[in-house]
Amino acid sequence: MWQKFLRRQKPNKGELVSESTPSLRRRFIIGGIIIISVIAALAINFVFEYSQRLADISYDRLLRSALLQMDENIGLMHNEVTIDIPWSAFATLAQANDDRVFYKVVSSSQGFITGYRDLNITPPKPPQLDKIQFFDREYSGEMVRFAWLERHLTESESTGTVRIIIGQTRLSREELSSSVTERAVEVVVMIALVAVALIVLGSQLVLRPLHRISRVLEERQPGDLTPINIKTPKETYHLKMVINHFMARLQTNLEQLENYTADAAHQLRTPLASLRALAENARDKTSPERQQEALENIVTQCDSLSQTVTLLLNQAVVSHRMQTNPKEPVDLLVPVTASCREQAITALHKGVSLSLEADVERAMVFGDAFALQQMMQNLIENAVRYSNLGAEQATEVVVRVEEFSNYYRVSVIDYGAGIPEEEKKRVFERFYRGRYDTAGSGVGLAMVKDIIDHHTANITILDTQPKGTTFQIDIAKYQSSNDSGSLL
Amino acid sequence: MMKWLVVFFSLFLMSFNAFAQALVEPESIEFGKKDAPRVLRIHSSIDLASFGPLIKGFVKRYPSIRVSYTDINTSELYKQTIKESAHPQASLVISSAMGLQIKLVNDGYAQTYHSYETDHLPSYAQWRHQVFAFSLEPVVMLVNKDHYPGPLPKDRQDVLQTIRQYSDFMKGRIGTYDIRQSGVGYLLASQDARQADTTWGRLIEAFGSHQVKTYCCTHEIIDDVASGKLVLGYNLLGSYAAQRVKEDTRLKMILPKDYALMVMRVGLIPKKAPNADDAGLFLDYLLTDSVQRRMQAETLMFPIQPNVMTKNTLNILGKSGPQRVVELDQQLLVGRDYAKQRRFIKSWEEALEIPH
Repeated sequence: MWQKFLRRQKPNKGELVSESTPSLRRRFIIGGIIIISVIAALAINFVFEYSQRLADISYDRLLRSALLQMDENIGLMHNEVTIDIPWSAFATLAQANDDRVFYKVVSSSQGFITGYRDLNITPPKPPQLDKIQFFDREYSGEMVRFAWLERHLTESESTGTVRIIIGQTRLSREELSSSVTERAVEVVVMIALVAVALIVLGSQLVLRPLHRISRVLEERQPGDLTPINIKTPKETYHLKMVINHFMARLQTNLEQLENYTADAAHQLRTPLASLRALAENARDKTSPERQQEALENIVTQCDSLSQTVTLLLNQAVVSHRMQTNPKEPVDLLVPVTASCREQAITALHKGVSLSLEADVERAMVFGDAFALQQMMQNLIENAVRYSNLGAEQATEVVVRVEEFSNYYRVSVIDYGAGIPEEEKKRVFERFYRGRYDTAGSGVGLAMVKDIIDHHTANITILDTQPKGTTFQIDIAKYQSSNDSGSLL
Repeated sequence: MMKWLVVFFSLFLMSFNAFAQALVEPESIEFGKKDAPRVLRIHSSIDLASFGPLIKGFVKRYPSIRVSYTDINTSELYKQTIKESAHPQASLVISSAMGLQIKLVNDGYAQTYHSYETDHLPSYAQWRHQVFAFSLEPVVMLVNKDHYPGPLPKDRQDVLQTIRQYSDFMKGRIGTYDIRQSGVGYLLASQDARQADTTWGRLIEAFGSHQVKTYCCTHEIIDDVASGKLVLGYNLLGSYAAQRVKEDTRLKMILPKDYALMVMRVGLIPKKAPNADDAGLFLDYLLTDSVQRRMQAETLMFPIQPNVMTKNTLNILGKSGPQRVVELDQQLLVGRDYAKQRRFIKSWEEALEIPH
């Protein structure tokens, strides 16, 4: 069954990939590209604004310098405010090669002094004396950067203020800012491309050990479950361990299964051989009475065999359930009562009365109802069977359920022959049979032990007074988060 | 009494202006075939003697274009270009008054033009791709060798020396531009004042005390120097002087050794100009190597293209002192500043003892 599963894996591989979510590598790359693009876009946006500001800062210096040079050359001539614009003021502005220049000088007492008469603009912020303001305005069909200054006249004979406005078109500014932006965008795009390339390359490198592991597994013989033993980076160590651990478990299971199958076959061969001997015996008998007797024996043997097969099947089912079905809260009384009810008739046939003593209403434990029922069934069967052995026929089997502070105790008590001390340790071994003079497979108690282990419960074998055996099971109470307080 | 004299004088000047305007304006000369489909109107301050041969070459190369050439004084040209800005007559406006041309560009009256030729001009020879220089003009002094007293001057100091020495003789024998009438005259004076303020002050003072004669146009000064009415013409455009010196042995052209101004003849295409394409074509034509070479070979003008300026050009210029090239940029706007202009003309008038 396992091998079959392993063999099926390979042809299914393609199917698996197509059903699964997008490949890790593609997700990695796409995610990376998206993040990098967002960062690049933000960077470019920032550079764009920054370069505009930078251009304005540098060219505003020229404008300020020109304005101050003009301001310095405002003076009085024949009691009239006038300005002698220095050549150097415009030489400063000429550094912005192709930008047109507009200006106007006005005084509060005389009005227009020089410049462009129709240059009537006011700064965006409320004008403040002695403070230069810079702002953009449209003039003469172009966007113009203006510097604006109004100050008091300082000559003793004059009063009032003088205002200087000087503006320059934005050509050089735009040129500077776009050249800065262009360069920065080039750099950003290059970095982004390099990053994307690294991601693509890196993803290849990072995933290579995984590919190697999968290749190693793929190339294996179907039955090869030895641990993976290739050198891979630290990060994949855990994965490797998990795979190895899983394979070890698989190996154990396989071995168990093999043992079990071998033992079962062995177990079935003995009764079959004896069946055959009985059948031969019956064939050879001449008298009908003897033949009748032999046939009776055959029927008994068949019943026993059938019981063994049923037990084996049940055990297979139980072990399968235990591997696959998750545990859940169950009322322990339900499987106990059910198995008692089921066994009561069989027991009576054998002259044994089965009684259930339970002093609780409900006994909630965490486990599998079917497995628990199988366990009880086996124990009761066992008890009934052993009641019949020995010199005296015992007539009673008691099943008792008691509640303790944090566990329930289920006892199955018989008054049969009892188990000798040295055998008590071995009764749970698979195919161990204390006595061969009775029906029984030797499988039942082994299964009981499995179920006990599965439920992390305890089983103890005690002697019943005056004689007989008591199987005592302690199983923890189920403590749901809501009522744990009340149970404790 | 003085007031009346002023009124009389200004009336006289005004009528003279009007007369001169009436004389200049209608004069337009046609080149090329009468039935040519395209017309290129050029308004220019350049004398036809210099420009004619080049225009003839142009219509010969492009027979489908007829050129209508109008010679206008630089100041008038400026005013007319602004007046006509809504519906310009001229496809091309050419002037050596660089300040006025720059102002037209700055104030948005010119349109942008790009071509291989204009894009390869040196940066000082164009501005905003809207105004382009095609010839470089040394600013010179012209003397009449026969009548000049004492040794011929090499620089402005020599001129001052001569004026002091021959004070009586020099009275009324020096000629220069009237900066109120001539845009190029104003440009040269303001550049002189900018380059060497003290020398300029002394010179203008000496001119004033010796009854300097002022003219509207270069060729009139040259005529008077040639006839002996004047012995010295100050601040003349080199190409005109060089042409006359070739023909007239009495004349000598002097590039001042202390510094020589270099101005440019510049052209612009007005916004909304008719037939702007052919105007651009004409500019390109002026800037081609063959035409530039021809300008210098026939002493029509001095070429602007540095690669054409050969030994020959330098020979004409002679071994001179420092050259101050007046570049085409925003600085020229300072010269055209309203307050500065008013003050400069006023001080010029006061120095030359011209009533205003």
